[in-house]
Amino acid sequence: MSMLSTVCRNLFGGPATLMYPVKPREPYARARGHVEFNEDLCNQCGNCARRCPAVAIELNKEKKEWILYPDRCIICEVCADNCPKDAIIIAPKWRAPFTVRERIVMHSKAVKEKGAAESGT
Amino acid sequence: MAPRTITPFGPQHPVLPEPIQLKLVLEDERVVDVLPAIGYGHRGIEKACELNEYPKNIYLCERICGICSAIHGMTYCDVVEKLWPLEIPPRAKYLRTIWAEMSRTHSHLLWLGLLSDAFGFESMFMQYWRIREKVLNILEITAGHRVTQSVSIVGGVRRDIDDDQKKHCIEVLKDVRQEVAALNNVLVNDYTVKARTVGKGVLSYDQAIALGNCGPHLRASGVKEDCRTQGYWAYGELAFEPIVATGGDSFSRAAVRIGETIQAIDLQLEAFGKMPEGEIAAKPKGNPPANEATSRVEQPRGEVFYYAKGNGTRNLERLRVRTPTYANIPSLLVMLPGCEMADVPIIVLSIDPCISCTER
Repeated sequence: MSMLSTVCRNLFGGPATLMYPVKPREPYARARGHVEFNEDLCNQCGNCARRCPAVAIELNKEKKEWILYPDRCIICEVCADNCPKDAIIIAPKWRAPFTVRERIVMHSKAVKEKGAAESGT
Repeated sequence: MAPRTITPFGPQHPVLPEPIQLKLVLEDERVVDVLPAIGYGHRGIEKACELNEYPKNIYLCERICGICSAIHGMTYCDVVEKLWPLEIPPRAKYLRTIWAEMSRTHSHLLWLGLLSDAFGFESMFMQYWRIREKVLNILEITAGHRVTQSVSIVGGVRRDIDDDQKKHCIEVLKDVRQEVAALNNVLVNDYTVKARTVGKGVLSYDQAIALGNCGPHLRASGVKEDCRTQGYWAYGELAFEPIVATGGDSFSRAAVRIGETIQAIDLQLEAFGKMPEGEIAAKPKGNPPANEATSRVEQPRGEVFYYAKGNGTRNLERLRVRTPTYANIPSLLVMLPGCEMADVPIIVLSIDPCISCTER
């Protein structure tokens, strides 16, 4: 008898599960989902690679590459917190599953060159 | 004398949440002796913490356990802050308290679901976990992730809870409180639940203290002992009294956790009302000094004890974690002999075993 209030609430409240994929789950605004990198803002300072607890970010300073290993990334947002140029942001939608361990290679475009001959592309 | 057999209970068993092996020495259906074996989840986290710089260890320590992960991270930050010592801002203390109690709510709801499932009361398991989804959703809205929230840093917290989120959390918590109270009534008054838990796995007051128990397991034997009475973080300013039961059996342990679930919701609502404005983090100066520090915090399963030793570099010299289930497992060797084989799952679940915490 004491289960009656719960039973009535459930009877008229609709199912507790979401009709996925017909009705997808909208991510919350400040949820941590996946890493997004903006090539135009990165200046290869290396803060993200130094602070990453999972060693998921590598920098190649000669080729001006920013490399992410998504299978190591734990989406903790430490890289985004420490980026002085806000080149990394953590977007709310959860990353899609992947079947191949590939690294993501991006090119930093805001690196300041030493010497006056070349300016960064 | 009846012939004795040894039956392994675990490490893989449908009723166990985590891998522990208990070799039950049985005479017919009665347990005569228990031989535990742990080590199925050991990952060497304490050693890994020495190899990392100290800010990165927060993320390692959180992953010692999935259910108590928020409090592991916060206790690590607490013990490292004591090395300086570093005082965190008042708002950070309240935020840590709120997230710790939110974590306790979801952990106890998980346990109540598992306990119901252990009897075979599957519909109750589904109901408790349906309510738990609401708590996990507010954890995701405020902290960022449902499990392994990563909100704490050395010096305070990383995120703030703004007014919209606070209003939403309060609404959800009031709703959760009402639904949980209705379900708790059912669990506590049901004849079958009482038949399977009352008088099973009895530990007296003196036995509980002698065995070194902690947490709700200890409080169910009548010992009024809770780390939150120390008044760390914001607990000193909230109206908090430990919940104690006197039966010493599995039913008392369930009753203590049922009371603590409602108490955790009430503490969150109170903390939301009293939270001051201000900064959310203090910046630590330099490396952790060559010093030792300890921290005792109340996790959902009991008292977790952290010891840290700094040596002036960015790496810690030593981190030692003594988790509550590590202290509660020896009590199984006293509770299980004498009971029937069908009671073993209920008694083992009633200590709320978290073997990934035990073995790190």
